[in-house]
Amino acid sequence: MSDEVGSAEATESGDVERSPSLYDRWLAVREREATIAVLTFVGVFLAPFILVVLPELLGIPRQYSWYRNLVILALIWGIFAIGFDLLLGFTGLLSFGHAMFWGTAAYTAGIFSANVTGSPIAMILVGTTAAVLLAWVIGWISLRRGGIYFAILTLAFGQMIYYIALSPLGNLTGGENGFTGVEVGPLLGLLPLGAEIAFVPDALVETWMYVLVGLMTVLAVVVGNRVLNSPYGIVLRAVRENEQRAEFVGLNVWRYKLMAFIISGAFAGVAGSLYVIQRSFVPIENTLNWTVSGEIVIMTVLGGVGSLFGPLLGAGLYMYVANIVSGMPTIGDFWHMILGLVFIAVVVLAPNGIWGRVEWLRERVGETLGGDDR
Amino acid sequence: MTAILETDDLVKEFGGLTATDHVNLTIEQGKLLSLIGPNGAGKSTLINLITRMLEETEGDIRFEGESITDLKPHEVVQRGIGKSFQTASIFPELSVEDNATIASFGAEHGDFRFNFLTHRDSYPEVEQRALDTLEAVGLRDQKDVRAADLPYGDKRRLEIGIALASEPSLLLMDEPTAGMSPEETKATVDLIEELQEEMDLTILLVEHDMEIVFSVSDRIAVLNRGSVIAEGTPDEVQGDPAVQEAYLGGVEL
Repeated sequence: MSDEVGSAEATESGDVERSPSLYDRWLAVREREATIAVLTFVGVFLAPFILVVLPELLGIPRQYSWYRNLVILALIWGIFAIGFDLLLGFTGLLSFGHAMFWGTAAYTAGIFSANVTGSPIAMILVGTTAAVLLAWVIGWISLRRGGIYFAILTLAFGQMIYYIALSPLGNLTGGENGFTGVEVGPLLGLLPLGAEIAFVPDALVETWMYVLVGLMTVLAVVVGNRVLNSPYGIVLRAVRENEQRAEFVGLNVWRYKLMAFIISGAFAGVAGSLYVIQRSFVPIENTLNWTVSGEIVIMTVLGGVGSLFGPLLGAGLYMYVANIVSGMPTIGDFWHMILGLVFIAVVVLAPNGIWGRVEWLRERVGETLGGDDR
Repeated sequence: MTAILETDDLVKEFGGLTATDHVNLTIEQGKLLSLIGPNGAGKSTLINLITRMLEETEGDIRFEGESITDLKPHEVVQRGIGKSFQTASIFPELSVEDNATIASFGAEHGDFRFNFLTHRDSYPEVEQRALDTLEAVGLRDQKDVRAADLPYGDKRRLEIGIALASEPSLLLMDEPTAGMSPEETKATVDLIEELQEEMDLTILLVEHDMEIVFSVSDRIAVLNRGSVIAEGTPDEVQGDPAVQEAYLGGVEL
């Protein structure tokens, strides 16, 4: 996902070289919503080229570089991570049960596609609604406690739902085999997701699947940015910083926390639904299992807690290690250990995650090039 | 004079210990009542009962004539009781202006709203209130500073500012000068007096510094072992033999 950074910095240095005042102007626009939407769009649009096509042209062996489906998966996990960071990074709540929202959305979307309609948009809507309703109930119960108790409660509920899907509801969910009856239909009734897009060069965007996931990613970033720049953004940070004081300026802290939990659940729901659309299958171990709850924490921390783009980068790095490094000769078998080392390295060398380092670099570049007012 | 806050035979027991023992206090509109007493006399318990951090064992608390014992802490704040904490309770990682803005949201928008997709810039009244608050406590020039980087005295001023942003009718101040240098203390005392005059604020002050208490108070209530042993004007309290016995230890003030 490093393309996001790449494109952001390319624009930046382009402005800077002309005159310092342009750099200031760049700073002013940077935070604007349209800018963020356009940058994300460009990043998502160029990602397959930069990550898949370019390495091939440069002659990098296939087993070391990304493949198109992995880019899609990274974006899906990135959407999940953006939502998770709204809770962890901005509200200061560590949930250890987010697999249940991702997984419930996945099963709901999958079962819905088999029984009602395979329209991808409808699957996303239904899956997300299920995740939101579940987040409402689970949040309502779990948020009575804070800190470690909250983490344990969410973990416990997550496990509960995992076992319910595994056995009592086995007839419906397919139990340990996962749900195999997913029937994904064409987008808007006429565009098969797997089909190639006629008028866009293959080197850029190949399938409608990528268009769907890419647009949802842009939407996730824009909505995430909107939430952070709404009153919620500042209220949630206040809750993170000093919950008691927030209560004593007259804010209903509990309800704001519940909303943060539900919004975060909605992101997980969108991502979980997309995951099923992409895989046409609901594997229980990759949806409701508690390891998913752990993976999303790792991705978010890797990318940078408390940033908007960080979680996307974290998801990308995680996907690369888990899917590419794991297939490399000799070291492949040790990919879990490599992931652990990467995690330690990031936590020690970049306490604010990869995105924290990117920001730091950007400030350095700004200072050298005349943006002294930072 | 009308009573803004009354406690009615208020009792709070922790296990076998009675921290608040049938307290009947009345604070009148626009006045400053100081609550004094030795350590463990039950001053903080009483404050925590009024802010609803603690549930009473018996008795009633009425604010502007209505009982507030069924309310949650944030609802009490919405009714008009503000609190300034004993330590600088601020949002350290956020800017001074953001600190004030959070308080303004609490004041302008009530305890909760569904506005998570509306840009913050669309609430100019919130921004204005935040700047007015900073102006009132003299921190407007430092609005872009990270709150954690302020000197201690300024953190306490910001703390008071946050409490004032909601324009409370009653402000509870828990040792506002604790840990301050003499200059900071003087500035804070001046600020309290100024606020009381300008905003027609009613204040319940808990303070250990007797010099401050006797110079700013309209009335003083003396707590000992959970009960009020004396209540009156500074002169009356100073001359009360029970107070001298129990609290001042017979020392001439």
